[in-house]
Amino acid sequence: MSSPDPLIQLRAAKPAASPELRERVRALAAGTPEPRPFFLARLSLRRTLLVAAPAALALALGAAGVIGFTRSGESERVVAPPLAAVEKAGTATRATPPAGGVATDQAATLPPTAGRLQRYDAELRLRVNDLDALSAATQKAMRVARSLGGYVASAAYDAPETGPGSAMLVLRVPAIRVQSAIVQLSGLGTILGQRIGIEDLQGQADTIADRIAVLQGEIASLRRQLETPDLTDDARAQLELRLAQARRELAELRAALEQTRTEGTLATVSVSLTTEQTARLREQGRLGRALDRALDALAWEASAALIALAVGGPLLLLAGGTWKLAAVRRRRAEERLLDRSE
Amino acid sequence: MTIPSTRAQAAGAERPSFAGVAEAHLDDVHAYLVYLTRDRVLAEDLTADTFEKALRGWHRFDPRRASARTWLCQIARTTALDWFRAEERRRRRDQATAREDRAEPVFGEGLSPELESALRSLTHSEREVIALRVLLDLDGDEAARVLGISPTNVSTRLSRALKKLEEKVGTHVLA
Repeated sequence: MSSPDPLIQLRAAKPAASPELRERVRALAAGTPEPRPFFLARLSLRRTLLVAAPAALALALGAAGVIGFTRSGESERVVAPPLAAVEKAGTATRATPPAGGVATDQAATLPPTAGRLQRYDAELRLRVNDLDALSAATQKAMRVARSLGGYVASAAYDAPETGPGSAMLVLRVPAIRVQSAIVQLSGLGTILGQRIGIEDLQGQADTIADRIAVLQGEIASLRRQLETPDLTDDARAQLELRLAQARRELAELRAALEQTRTEGTLATVSVSLTTEQTARLREQGRLGRALDRALDALAWEASAALIALAVGGPLLLLAGGTWKLAAVRRRRAEERLLDRSE
Repeated sequence: MTIPSTRAQAAGAERPSFAGVAEAHLDDVHAYLVYLTRDRVLAEDLTADTFEKALRGWHRFDPRRASARTWLCQIARTTALDWFRAEERRRRRDQATAREDRAEPVFGEGLSPELESALRSLTHSEREVIALRVLLDLDGDEAARVLGISPTNVSTRLSRALKKLEEKVGTHVLA
């Protein structure tokens, strides 16, 4: 043995490529234009993650932002009752949302028709800041009704130590002054909702008046017949009975007409006041609602990601294990192949 | 031209030309295939095939993932395995006998007959790891990447191969 160290021998005797092989490989390398590096070859796992992770995060935030802004108007439609103005057979009803779908300080009014009897119902839902404001607004609403010649039909005031306070007032004001009443009452707080209903009573009043005129004619006729001297006792008794019935019916019709006229001359205005915090939240600006929606969307995305991870994680582990097993089997098959070739 | 031989060097260097890589690592690939096949003529053919494949796949080579030498050795191993599979099918079809070892030196000029004989007696995996770790001087990670096994397995396999080589040669210089 020329050297005592086999490793040195091995290195020194390292097989070298023959000149023919060297020329062959050189010709191969020189004769073929080098292909351009493949784009994906530049993408390492680390670089891919560095790009993909921020991109996914930006996509999630962007989607949440878009969802937040596009859906921020939905709460407005929920808060505000749909605008409806219906006029049918002399009846009109209007539910007025706050202007632009958000709370406002100016109420819309629907004036009664001059010269006709109409039942006028209005509802106002207002928010005030706190219990002090609630008390002041309640008292002022009562003063508004009285100052316009009306009165307070009913009042309920609730100011608990904890929780939101509320007040409910039913006011009767002359119909000809109801617009002024609504304008003044709307200034007591922030309008959350409004409804106005008008029902025409003129036809009903005219019918009653016509019937009264007929009855008055009948009564006059019955009186004249009773003044006839040659009436039998039975005939006189029947006439007196019919006269009494006519007089009773006339009294009822006159009361009904009076009631109808009262209904037509006094409008009913219901005012509900609240300090409820949810109302404040509902009337928050579009930006706030958009932020809420965006946060909801982000929470949903996070939930979806967790579910995907929970479902996809085991599958990925299974796929990885399968791939590893296949690699081990392939390597063993290669080992056996090389063993057989010895 | 200086060709980076390790992964660390490759990571900080620009992408080399294929011609430069082929020139720098031709002997390494050839020596590895000689040890793997125990056949110099076959090793020459497989070396040429290896570089043809390497040129076709050169656009996929990423210096950050592995050095050019490691990448070429992986291709060489795949090429040799493909050849062995084809050879095995041919042998089955022709009912031919296994190849006979040639008498002339295979593993390099200047080796002692004892060492040449000892190398012949090693299994392919033992010769393979000696070729990669001793002749080509790849580190454990690079050799593991070529062989598709862990660096620990490479160390174990190398230790066993050297011990066997020592016993066969009959010297005590391999510690």
